[in-house]
Amino acid sequence: MVLKKKTRLRFIRYLGKHFRDDKTTLHIYSRDMAELPPLTKIMFQSTPDAVILPKTVEDIQRIYQLANETNVPITLRSGGTAGFGGAISYKKGIVVDGKGIESEIFVEPLEQSVTSGPSMIFSDMQRILKLQGFSLCAFPSSYYSATIGGWISHGGYGVGSSQYGGALDQILALDVVLPNGEMKTYTEKEDISLFVGSNGTLGMITNIKLKIKFDIPLKQWGCTFDSPTELMQGLKELSDLNTFSVWFFDPSHVMQFNDSFGFALPYRYVAIVSKEISYEEEESEFHSSFNQAIRKAGGQILDKRYISNIWDFRFKTFSMLKNYEDFLVSEVILPIETSAKYVQKLKARFNKDLHVEGEMISDSHYSLLLFIPLKERISSLKRTILYLRLMGATLKGLKCGGYPYSTGMWFASYYHKIYGKEQFKRYREFKKSVDVNNIGNPGKVVSPKLRIFPIISMKTAIKLVSRLL
Amino acid sequence: MFMSSSQEWQVDVLDVAQKCVYCGYCSLCPTFKELKWENYHPRGILEQIKLYYSEGLKENQKADVSKSLFEAIFACTMCKACENVCIVDLPLLKVWEQIRQESFKRGRWNPQLLTLYNKIKSSYNIYGLPAEERVAWAALRNMVMTRRTQKQSPLAYFVGCQASYSGKMEGIAESVVKILRKAKLNFTILGTEEWCCGSPVFLAGGYSVGKTFAKHNLEQFKKLGVKRVVTACAGCYRAFKIVYPRILNDKWDIEVLHITELVNELLAEGKIKLKKKFKEKITFKDPCELVRHCGLIEAPREVIKQIPGVRFEELPSNREEALCCGGGGLLKLNDDELVNQVNSRLVSEIVYSEVDIVLNGCPTCLDTIKRSIKNQDLEIESIDIAEFIQRAMG
Repeated sequence: MVLKKKTRLRFIRYLGKHFRDDKTTLHIYSRDMAELPPLTKIMFQSTPDAVILPKTVEDIQRIYQLANETNVPITLRSGGTAGFGGAISYKKGIVVDGKGIESEIFVEPLEQSVTSGPSMIFSDMQRILKLQGFSLCAFPSSYYSATIGGWISHGGYGVGSSQYGGALDQILALDVVLPNGEMKTYTEKEDISLFVGSNGTLGMITNIKLKIKFDIPLKQWGCTFDSPTELMQGLKELSDLNTFSVWFFDPSHVMQFNDSFGFALPYRYVAIVSKEISYEEEESEFHSSFNQAIRKAGGQILDKRYISNIWDFRFKTFSMLKNYEDFLVSEVILPIETSAKYVQKLKARFNKDLHVEGEMISDSHYSLLLFIPLKERISSLKRTILYLRLMGATLKGLKCGGYPYSTGMWFASYYHKIYGKEQFKRYREFKKSVDVNNIGNPGKVVSPKLRIFPIISMKTAIKLVSRLL
Repeated sequence: MFMSSSQEWQVDVLDVAQKCVYCGYCSLCPTFKELKWENYHPRGILEQIKLYYSEGLKENQKADVSKSLFEAIFACTMCKACENVCIVDLPLLKVWEQIRQESFKRGRWNPQLLTLYNKIKSSYNIYGLPAEERVAWAALRNMVMTRRTQKQSPLAYFVGCQASYSGKMEGIAESVVKILRKAKLNFTILGTEEWCCGSPVFLAGGYSVGKTFAKHNLEQFKKLGVKRVVTACAGCYRAFKIVYPRILNDKWDIEVLHITELVNELLAEGKIKLKKKFKEKITFKDPCELVRHCGLIEAPREVIKQIPGVRFEELPSNREEALCCGGGGLLKLNDDELVNQVNSRLVSEIVYSEVDIVLNGCPTCLDTIKRSIKNQDLEIESIDIAEFIQRAMG
């Protein structure tokens, strides 16, 4: 779909220089962190017709009004730092970049909350909070680039989630411009939950009130395990210790980590545990509980010298990719209880080509980043095949009770697996009531039909192809 | 295509662009923070470079991408924050420089930039003023520099265009000379033979012309037997420290010092003393060209610490994470309004710190900060660190 001349003019007349449709801008906005393999362009029309950078809530309301009148799809974008395609157009239309919305940060010390606009980057907000002795409760591993609005829309989890929960547990209030142009404030968890993981299909978040906590220093402990089974046992034991973060990687990743950052971690499954420590006794108390838990799981404690300053590299995982020409990445959420075999099989399937890195996000689940670093550039066809294989491998996690990290473009229609059937029903009802023309980021959350073969859904197509590969 | 060159400091820009992992950590770019379009985001610029050099690009597409790319590249303040934060260690500054060179080759510089270029080329200074006026600052300050000019000496003070010609910066040259005199150092200045260090030309991508400046200044230093050169300008410091060795190779064997480095030496040797006490709370604004480009972080702080009873407060963003003042990378010539926007973030940090005096190690930072302070009617004094040292000497 190409914007009709008249429609284009209407947008330009209202937005002026905040509207762009030159080819270069459209090209830049046709990707997020993961570059779509060229062959997948048959399935997706990821290059939009235009990009808008609204400044105010009124701008957004007007954009939705015009989009409804002209039936133009609106894809919302913030940091563009995820790789699920949530911020990319599925069938052209207009990308609305939320980074233009001006907002001020307001810290409320007594209530322990912070209010800001959606385009605030986590590290920027954290810096401001730290100056006042506060901290965010949880943040993504893309801490230096991800925006708060994008994280919520993505259904984010991250570092700190094992203690403080995911995005939904942090939000106290949301201001949203719904696809029908209406502006609403939500404060009830039940309502807020609809927007978490909605990938911008339910409107644009314009203001966010988040819980914050006192800035308590973090201390790290390390341990190793010989197998995924032992690792899972270890995670289970650690889940009782109220840790801030449990970050772990497989032996292939350890090797890269050592090479990149000059560590000498043993080539086993390594877990780095972070705990908020306020006073000395708390530290020694945790130390003995940690030792007990790891020994019970059959793991080994790592001497503190091995992990000195390791937390400085928590948000620099991708720097390991500097030794490679290209890479593919996916992420899945898995249950601690039943996923050991899946991880074992995954490693066997891709051999050393696959690196995994995980983070505990609750007492029972962890998120697993799957990397395939490539030593040389491969053909577009090979890249597409490998990408689909990786997607297939991610979906296999569903069999052991896992689910994709986010729906985005690739995992549209897995919403019910992530948030449950009841929530999906609520989502659909709400979507129908606020977006009658389905202009709010179509192709995400609910799987669309294949453009080239419209009797098959995208979900089925991806499933079939990845299974074949 | 502007690809690998025999000169080792040049990079294969397309290769660098292809190695970007698109993590977006370079979102801290001061220009992007203001303009918000991803066209100005360092990763967005790399995406445009990939497009610009892609094979089979039609002429109209090439025109479209070059317009956007060159506009974005000249909106860059060359603060190097992107390169410092890049998790895959991409040599981004070199890429930006080479794309500016590409823009020069394609005749896509804006008229103000061309005017500056022509001024520097014809009069050897950024203001297009006669060489005879290079030492006018001394006369205006009732200083006699005749015996110090073009004299055989192991130490040269390189005044720089801004301190030489700008009425707003004359205090810098006077202070440096007073410090050197107080320490009874044998030093010289190049006087009318001092040519611009070439920094603006290098920043604009005009390396071939910049090289003639580097050669000339080196010749002058050699003629006078100079072994060390001291400067109070971060731009000149960067040019001598980073660019001259690149383009002059082994011929450039002169030790380069920022005034704060020299003052530390003089204090250690007991040649000067900082006696005067200050009631005011002070801070130091790290210039991008000192901290991120050259790694000069501690020298200014060590000097400040030696001032008796000093109340020093770091800005919230300091050292390698210091905010850009907006005046770098020739942005003033391309978008003066953007300079103000970028600068306002820095000034809000200065206001937050509740300081009375902001010290600077770079005339460009000094100028932009002074301008914002004046516009916002703030009761904060912004001065060069050399002036402050001279005051502290009593």
